Amino acid sequence: MNRHHIVCVALMLGLMGWPAAHAAKLTVFAAASLTDAFSEIGKNFDAASGNTTVFQFAGSQALRTQLEQGAGADVFASANTAQFDPLVKAGQLSSGQTFARNRLIVISPRGSAAVSSLADLAKPGVKLVLADKTVPVGDYSRKTLDLISKAGTYGSDFSARVLRNVVSEEPNVRQVALKIQLGQGDAAIVYVSDVTPSLRPDVRTTGLPTRFNPLASYPIGVLAASKNAEAAQAFVKYVLSSDGQRVLKKWGFVGAK
Amino acid sequence: MLAAFLLLPTLTLLLRGVSSDFLPTLLSPVVTDALRVSVLTSGASLGLTVLLGTPAAWLLSRRRFFGHALLETLLDLPITLPPVVAGVALLLAFGSRGWLGQGLELAGINLAFSPAAVVLALLFTSAPFYIRAARAGFSAYDPDTEAAARVDGAGERDVFFRVTLPLALPFLLEGLVLAWARSLGEFGATILFAGSLQGQTRTITLAIYSAMESDLRPALVLSAVMVVFAFGLLLLVRLLASWRR
Repeated sequence: MNRHHIVCVALMLGLMGWPAAHAAKLTVFAAASLTDAFSEIGKNFDAASGNTTVFQFAGSQALRTQLEQGAGADVFASANTAQFDPLVKAGQLSSGQTFARNRLIVISPRGSAAVSSLADLAKPGVKLVLADKTVPVGDYSRKTLDLISKAGTYGSDFSARVLRNVVSEEPNVRQVALKIQLGQGDAAIVYVSDVTPSLRPDVRTTGLPTRFNPLASYPIGVLAASKNAEAAQAFVKYVLSSDGQRVLKKWGFVGAK
Repeated sequence: MLAAFLLLPTLTLLLRGVSSDFLPTLLSPVVTDALRVSVLTSGASLGLTVLLGTPAAWLLSRRRFFGHALLETLLDLPITLPPVVAGVALLLAFGSRGWLGQGLELAGINLAFSPAAVVLALLFTSAPFYIRAARAGFSAYDPDTEAAARVDGAGERDVFFRVTLPLALPFLLEGLVLAWARSLGEFGATILFAGSLQGQTRTITLAIYSAMESDLRPALVLSAVMVVFAFGLLLLVRLLASWRR
């Protein structure tokens, strides 16, 4: 390869990498629970802005690891601050804004009678599916169980008895919901927003009283390494706008404010 | 160039895996549980493979029957099938809502999230490697050898254990090693069909995946162990291959 070639290639690369003002390609890393809501928001955002937004949905903890290992993304939307703040502290991510909130709910297969109340979760032999404790929903679930234990309504060892029934610790909330949808397992704890129209026919839900069920906050921020920082900011703004919030609420989230 | 590309990642992994806190991490419950689950489930799967796969391979290499070629091809299918697809198939057949799973449940057997489900996933994805090798082994020598033994007065049992088996043994062992390697590497079918719980169904590969999302060290140590082990298996395959000749 002579110098002329190198200059040519460099020029081409430069042109390709140049952030065009109106047709940026955005990569958004988002918590698995945001799959439906963000897919719809992305479509609307692209239609309004001319950008092309692609998503990677996974457990927030998996996305955080990938970002720490240098994965190229423009926006990170996490399901909790525990998987978000370390990236901010490391200077990789702008400080977060809460864009959505969520609550937990117990689901069980529609045909199964094994779990019909909270107390049933602690019944010996019940097959409970949770997310791994590093997954935000897994962390929230365990905190909720602790709160119920502390309240004493079901005994102070409620959490310990329930956790003994855990048969699988899944890598993200959608995998948890899938196991119940397929009838594998008697019950699971997921977000209210995970009971989507496609899941609803297959499951029964058991509510968790709000005093045990504090709102989960979802932070969003722009990666410092983003090559399309402007478009990334625009995406964050769109998520926080009334249009974005309307879609999030439609998919079962509680709004930012 | 290609050699460097193929070797560098593995070497980097080994170097990072075998760091100062290798031993404490190796002895941590996350790692030992994963090793135990993997050894037990892959061991059970191998046992079933030999027990059920050997007669199947023998029949396929000795008898010709209607649908023979079709059956041979179908038995090879899991080799080319993506493991995730195998997981979906197992769920639909043996899951709690699956058509066989419901029958099993009535019989009091619940596979969901049990180590037995892991064994089924491993068996499904790895047994074909053994059957394939065993078939080749049973077809590799002249059947007249067996006939000669029979003429000399050997019973069917003796013929199989004294003639057929020793002749085919190198092939069988090679198939076994390949099946074992495949079952230790199994991921997709296991996580879909059996879930993931430390000490129960979380095999080495599942533990690596789960650890990658929090504490990296167990993932590195388990990965390094797998590299060493995979190398050992390769050596074994080469030794067996040279024995065959």
